[in-house]
Amino acid sequence: MFALRSAAPLARTFARSAPRFVAPSSILSRSIVTKRYSQDHEWLSFDSDTGVGSIGITDYAQRQLGDVVFIELPGQGTEIATGDSIGTIESVKAVSEIYAPVSGRVEEINGELESSPETLNSDPENEGWLAKIKLSNPGEFEQLLSEEAYKAYCAGADQ
Amino acid sequence: MHLVQLDLSQLSCTSTIYVSDSHNPWFNLAFEDWIFRKTDPRAVVLYMYRNDPSVIIGRNQNPWKEINLHQLNDLGIPFVRRKSGGGTVYHDLGNTNYCVFVPREQFERRINAELVARALNEVKIPANVNERNDICVEGFKVSGSAFKLVNARAYHHGTMLIDAKLGDLRGVLGTTKHTLITKGVPSVSSPVRNLVQWNSDFGHEKFVGAVSEEFKKTYGEFEEVQVTRVNESELERNEYVKGVSDELQSWDWQWGSTPEFTHDIEGSFPFGDISLHITSRHALITSASLTRPPRNPAWYRSAEHFVSLLEGDRYGTLEGVEKALEGMEGIKTERLRTLVEWLKKEM
Repeated sequence: MFALRSAAPLARTFARSAPRFVAPSSILSRSIVTKRYSQDHEWLSFDSDTGVGSIGITDYAQRQLGDVVFIELPGQGTEIATGDSIGTIESVKAVSEIYAPVSGRVEEINGELESSPETLNSDPENEGWLAKIKLSNPGEFEQLLSEEAYKAYCAGADQ
Repeated sequence: MHLVQLDLSQLSCTSTIYVSDSHNPWFNLAFEDWIFRKTDPRAVVLYMYRNDPSVIIGRNQNPWKEINLHQLNDLGIPFVRRKSGGGTVYHDLGNTNYCVFVPREQFERRINAELVARALNEVKIPANVNERNDICVEGFKVSGSAFKLVNARAYHHGTMLIDAKLGDLRGVLGTTKHTLITKGVPSVSSPVRNLVQWNSDFGHEKFVGAVSEEFKKTYGEFEEVQVTRVNESELERNEYVKGVSDELQSWDWQWGSTPEFTHDIEGSFPFGDISLHITSRHALITSASLTRPPRNPAWYRSAEHFVSLLEGDRYGTLEGVEKALEGMEGIKTERLRTLVEWLKKEM
């Protein structure tokens, strides 16, 4: 995978392209990156080649929270299990927790968010990624919601 | 996949009111967390309680920045870290807390603040909700709010200043350590007043009654709303409440959830001036360095030894260093003790 550990400008390029579904038939692609969603309003963009997934919060979650002022992320190397509370996001007077959508180990955290938490509002599904997780059981990814299923979940919730 | 039901009739049949007769802040907050996590997320619930004198800080706040902990300690008042966001507030029996739990999809900061303001209007207090979603009377804030969201549910809890001893905490709350630079969430102070200034007969039970009535009007359209009184005996019956009450009092939660910070500390002694730079994460000292060592060579060596002992110790109490010095004697140990005592006072 070309961008996961590269310098910041490249990583940004990668982040922007992350949610795009890369067709398996594409000659240039070496891996498949797919995105799924959790009922906790988080997304996970999984690279089947490296077994690493980026997590973040969805636009729906971001809109409900309002202006984010502080983000607490887990330390690099932390072992996490599905459903664990691994951090908090605070918007004006409101705290919501970050739940691990899958089990694994925290490979990297988005340190940029510390100084610019507002990125979570402006670009929650790309530059506002929270952490990269090496999945201990990649099968867990398949259990998350597809984009259509997540949209339906939000629509149901908004009725 | 479950879809959250938002049919009002469905909601209303599970509306409940809890009122706590306990004044124990840890129990009251733990019971709040139990309602939030362990009862039907579709239910709309109102919960009200009062706490003995205590200072309650937000989830992501730094107690050393927000509170003069030495003064608070002298007053014998505890501080408690809550699970919701926002700033630091003082509680005593003249302050009643309300908490409204709603399905997450209904979460809107303003709605339940307006419910409480309507309740006050019923007792002839001209309350309104301002643009920051605070409840105000004639421009003075009478209630602070904080919120918490999980996947299917949210709550809005707030304080209501009825007859709180606001003067008692003068000088205890607010930033004193200007060289302590912290991440996390700072408090925003506002001019506040007690409701008794507008209605001298007003009190806790009257507030509980007025808010309960307004809650029933708003959410209890279809069925009678049950009112349940609870007290600390829940701790014996409810393991979850006991667990959270213990967690709230644990070092890891109370201090260990402090956001990262740095603190530059200066001191003047007969042997010369000294300055330290300390960094901390999770309330543990992650590094300490002498930014200005004492001129006196013996004290210089002691100060260097001292900072080398600080790493990994608990900020504030320095119990690791104290333990290391236990039973030790001699002039060098005495110098280290002098530095420990000084630093503890400065923290």
